[in-house]
Parts: sequence; C-alpha cells; structure tokens
Amino acid sequence: MLDNLLELARGPLLKFSLLLMALGLLRAVLLQIWELGWAWSRAGDHFIPWSLTLRRNLAWLLPWRYLRVLERRLYNFTSFLFHVGVILVPVCLAGHVAIFKESFGISWPQLPQVAADWLTGLTLLAIAGLLFGRMTHRASREMSKPQDWLLPLLCAAPFISGWLAAHPAWCPVDLRAIYLVHLLSAELLLVLVPFSKLVHIVLFWVSQGSTELGWRFVPGSGERVRVTLGKEGQGV
Amino acid sequence: MQPDESAGALTPEQMQERLSYNIEKDEVYTGDMPARFLEVFAAILKHSNYRQVIDNYSRVTARCANCAPSCQIYQHTGAPEDVPCYRSHLLIDVYRRHFTLRGVLEGRLRGFEPLTNDSILEMAETYYHCTACRRCTLECPLGIDHGLVTHLARYILSELGLVPRALVISVREQLEGKTGNTSAIPFPAIADTIEFLAEEIEEEKALKVEIPVDQEDRDYIFFPAVSDYIMEADTLMGIATLINAVGDQDKWTIGSQYLDGINYGLFYSDWLLERILRKEIDEAQRLRAKAILIGECGHASRSAKAFIRTYGGGDKAPPVYNIIEYTYRKFKEGAFKLNPDVITEKVTYHDPCNLARTGWIVNEPREILRSFCKNYVEMTPNGSQNLCCGGGGGSVSVDEIRGYRTGVTGVKKAEQLAATGAKFLVAPCANCKKQLKELIQDHDLDMEVVGLHDLIYKAIVLETS
Repeated sequence: MLDNLLELARGPLLKFSLLLMALGLLRAVLLQIWELGWAWSRAGDHFIPWSLTLRRNLAWLLPWRYLRVLERRLYNFTSFLFHVGVILVPVCLAGHVAIFKESFGISWPQLPQVAADWLTGLTLLAIAGLLFGRMTHRASREMSKPQDWLLPLLCAAPFISGWLAAHPAWCPVDLRAIYLVHLLSAELLLVLVPFSKLVHIVLFWVSQGSTELGWRFVPGSGERVRVTLGKEGQGV
Repeated sequence: MQPDESAGALTPEQMQERLSYNIEKDEVYTGDMPARFLEVFAAILKHSNYRQVIDNYSRVTARCANCAPSCQIYQHTGAPEDVPCYRSHLLIDVYRRHFTLRGVLEGRLRGFEPLTNDSILEMAETYYHCTACRRCTLECPLGIDHGLVTHLARYILSELGLVPRALVISVREQLEGKTGNTSAIPFPAIADTIEFLAEEIEEEKALKVEIPVDQEDRDYIFFPAVSDYIMEADTLMGIATLINAVGDQDKWTIGSQYLDGINYGLFYSDWLLERILRKEIDEAQRLRAKAILIGECGHASRSAKAFIRTYGGGDKAPPVYNIIEYTYRKFKEGAFKLNPDVITEKVTYHDPCNLARTGWIVNEPREILRSFCKNYVEMTPNGSQNLCCGGGGGSVSVDEIRGYRTGVTGVKKAEQLAATGAKFLVAPCANCKKQLKELIQDHDLDMEVVGLHDLIYKAIVLETS
C-alpha cells in the first residue's frame, strides 16, 4: 500500500504537479504580458521607463533593502532569509539535482549536504519567525487571510520531512511514510503556486512595470465611463 | 465594526453623518449604492488601464504590513485601519470578489459576503485619510502602489457623489464657471494683481519687471496654482524678479484664457484630470508656447509632468517643467547672484511628495538654498523618503478636516519640523504651504513657511540696485 502510494507520488503525481505549476505560471505570465501590452497600446503616453522599473524590482533582491524600515526590520530580513532557503534548498539539493539529471538529462550546481542541512534549519527558523512576526504585529495579523498562515506551514512540511529523509537515523517512523509526506506536501505546494499569492514567483518581476502602466491613462476614458454610466453631458 | 445599515438605501444625511468631510448632499447617489459602486467599478475597469494593475495586486499581496511603519498616519495612530495595505485591500477585495473568476467561485463555495453600504462608506472615509503621498510604495517588496489604489478608489467613489464638496466646487468653477479657475478670481482681478506685483517689485527692488500676458511664441507658458495670486504673492514676485533678472522677460507668458495649474483631478477623477489638462494644452497651443512651466506647486507639477504627454499626444506634447528646474538651470549658468548675507536665520527644506517621491526634484532646491543660506539644515527623513506635510491628496483644501490634518496626519511632520529649530521653512508647493502654516499654528511652532522663490526674492542681487 505505502509502496504503491510512494510510486504514485514519485512518478505521475510529481510530473502532474510540476506540469500544472509550469502551465499555471506560464498562463500567469502570458496573461500579464497580454494585459500589459493591451494597456500600453491604449495609453496616451507610450513611454515606459522599463529599466527603471526593473531596477526597482531588482533592488528587492538585495538583503540590505529589507533593513530600511526599522519597525519591521527583523521580520523583513527573516523574510529575505526564508526566500534564500526556500529557493536554494529544493533547487540545488544534490538529491533533487540527481533526479532531474536522470529524468531530463540537465543538471546544475549542487549544495553540499552540510550546507543543505544548515539552510534547512535556517528556513524552518525563518518560517517560525515569519509566523511569529505575523502573529505579533496587530495590523499584519488582522489583515491576514487563511493562505497567509497555511502557506508557510505547508512550506515547512517538505523541509522537515526532507531533512528526516536525509537523516534516517533521526527518523522516528517508517522512512517510506516520511518520503510520502515529503513528496505529497511538496506537490501540493507546487500545485498551489499559480493559484495563491505564490504566483509572485513570476509576477514579482513585472509588478513595478504593472504599476507604471497603471498610471498610463487612456485618453477619453473618463468621458467613456460617464457615457457608460448614463451621465453623458452632465456637469461636474 | 459599525452596525450594518446596509439594508436599503441611505439618505444623504445618513451618509454625511458617517463622513468627516462635507459632501454635496444633492449630488450623492441615493439608489442601491453597492450595485452602483460595482457598475462604476466595471465601467472604469472597462475603459481604463487599471484592470491589469489591480489584478496583479490582488494576486500577489502578502499582507506583510511592511508598509505600515512608513505611513505617518499609522506611525501616529498605530491602528490597523491606517496600514496602507489594509486600506488598499478594501478595494482590492471588492475587485477580487466581484471581478475575478476565482473570487466568484470562492463566493459560491464559502458564501458570498456582499458589498455593503457600510464598506462603501468606510472606503469613502478612509481613502480621504490617506494623503496619497506614496511613501509606503517605496517599502512594498511586491511593488504595490497604494497611492494608485487610493486614486482609483476615490475615482469610483466620486462617481457616486462621495467626494469632498470643497474639491468639487473648485473644479466646477475651474471647468464650468465664469472665472475658469479654482479660486474663482475673475481675470481682470488677476491682471490688476499682476500689475500691482510689478509695481511692488519696482518699488522694493528698483527693477522694472515684465509679467507678460497673452504673448505668442514664447518659450514658456506659466501656470502657477492660481491661489498664489492671492495667498503667495511673494513667491510670484520672486519668480517674476528672477526671470527678469536673468533677461528672460520676453521668453515667458501667462495666458488670459486659462492660467490655473491646480488639478484636483489627480486626487479623485481621471475624467476631470483630463479635462483640466486639456485646458492647459489648449492654452499652450493658442499661444504657441514651446513648453509648459508650472509654479511652486507639487500636484500641479506632477499632474502636468505625468499626464500632459498622455492627453497631449505623447512625444508631440509640449515638455513640462517645474519652476525649480528652470531656476536651477539659470543658477548653474550663473545667470543670477544671491547675496549670502541676507538670510542669516536657520533655513530648512520640506520636500513636496509630488516633486520628491520619484526623485524628480530633490537636490536642485537644496543646492540653491545652500549657496546663499549660511544656516541651512536638513530634516530627516528627506528627499524621496520625506514625510508628507499631512495635507496631501487634496485633503488640505477640505477645511472641515483641519483637526485631523494637523492632529493626526501632520503630527509626525510637526515633530520633524520642531526638531530642526529652523526659522524659515521652505516648501515649494501651494498645498504644502497651506497645510504647514496650519500645522505650525496648531502646534505652536515658531517658524515661517516660505516658497523657494520668496527667499530668492529677498537675496537676489540686482545690477540696478
């Protein structure tokens, strides 16, 4: 039973979730590009400072950018560390790279196991920190939606199970069960990417440009809104 | 939470009771408000470019509250309602629920939380607490411009008649009134003022200045905030003196058909923003002016700089300059001299958000001020990270919320001002000047608010004198 499930999770489910994520992200990117292009074509002013907007995005890849606002400094930097771990570990773990090499024949630099262990610990700490930060900041807590709490928890699952899988001596239960948890939680996360705020994986890169285009107004739009609302010819 | 009064329509009086600013009771929509709100929202999404950006925001927001500490209102109140992201979510959630497939499906699954009169009135109130200073925008890793959301929300609300009466009355006079300007000054009175200012300058500075009206083919057509003609005559005298002193008196003009730089459309309506800017463009074309020169006014400058291209044909549109850019150019050319012994008091500079937030005009005024004010001090933070005067986004024109402006939004600014110990507070913006004067009064500070050109006027060295 467990073996069958493991086989399913390792094979078809993994492929399915990777494919769904890729297609979902592709859809998000294409739609966004389409929308941006449409907005651009209607705008009265076609000049968009693309390099400036991209630089504004890229600035957030630098750790010190997160230290500027004092009150949320710790939370922000934790968020930065979380992102480092959550990208590096799954992508560069030796085991994962090996699987990819086997399946697709492509490979990239790998993390030494020690580094992966440390990063896993760091990521888990960061997740705890982020949840704590969200809980203790009244404004953030009151604004939060279910996904804001559930996604970090879900992120922790593949990290914990992954670490246990890599250190069988510490594993209290059947290793296969841990593998199953690892695969299923990671797959659920992958599937959720396009449908949750995690879609920022791709939309982050255009968010500043999107804002810029939001300020590129359409000549005559105000009048057309008035006509649609049946207020044509009415005064201010 | 307020009790839900959403059953049935509200009377204008009931709406007024829930708002801190006065609305025009006979203009407000009295039918099914939530339905109308969604109709307006849909019409705006259809005809404008907001859909892509609101859609993006609705997908990526992390509700991390990183923006909170950057908001001076939140800094003062500490209330979750004053977090920029919370405020933006009021509108973003309406979008998500009613205009996305996901939102509609979720609504079916989890039960639909309908848009209520309460939430609309909450928006009408809170989007006028925000001064649209956009400081929070700098601190959003996901690039959400809360100023844009505030602008869009106010635009939707204005089509329901939920907009401060003070703003509407000014715009109505500007677009449909006899005088054609927000201060309702008839042109003959302005012509008199111009003549009077020229006489004053001649008397005080022994300089014969020309303030040309309706001259064609000039390099610049000048649009100050029209209120400057009454409220900030010193600024205008400084500008006129400077232009004459550098020998550019035959390079500029004021148009008699339209001369007001003020554009409240930037604060609450794209429809009005466009109509007002078209008046500027038309007047510039009538006089065949090569460029548009805006006076000491932040929002007038930004609305022209950012949108003249939109409504004036992109690259064909006349270029737009703020007067500080002009003055700085002449300063670098060494075209005028400033006496460093005139202003001995401590001077500080307030960055108007609409000039500084994007980094447009930050160092220019400082360089000029430092060159002749021996005792120049900075306030912190400054430049693109400045604190808003507390009266941005049109709120300064709403007199009935002065208590809120000086007692809540402006408090951090007042603390910042007090810490400088300056005598002269230079604020090259008509809105900021009014707000800062009120702030200084209400907080008992010993300072004088002046324009950049007021000080230049005092210190300029004229060859004739």
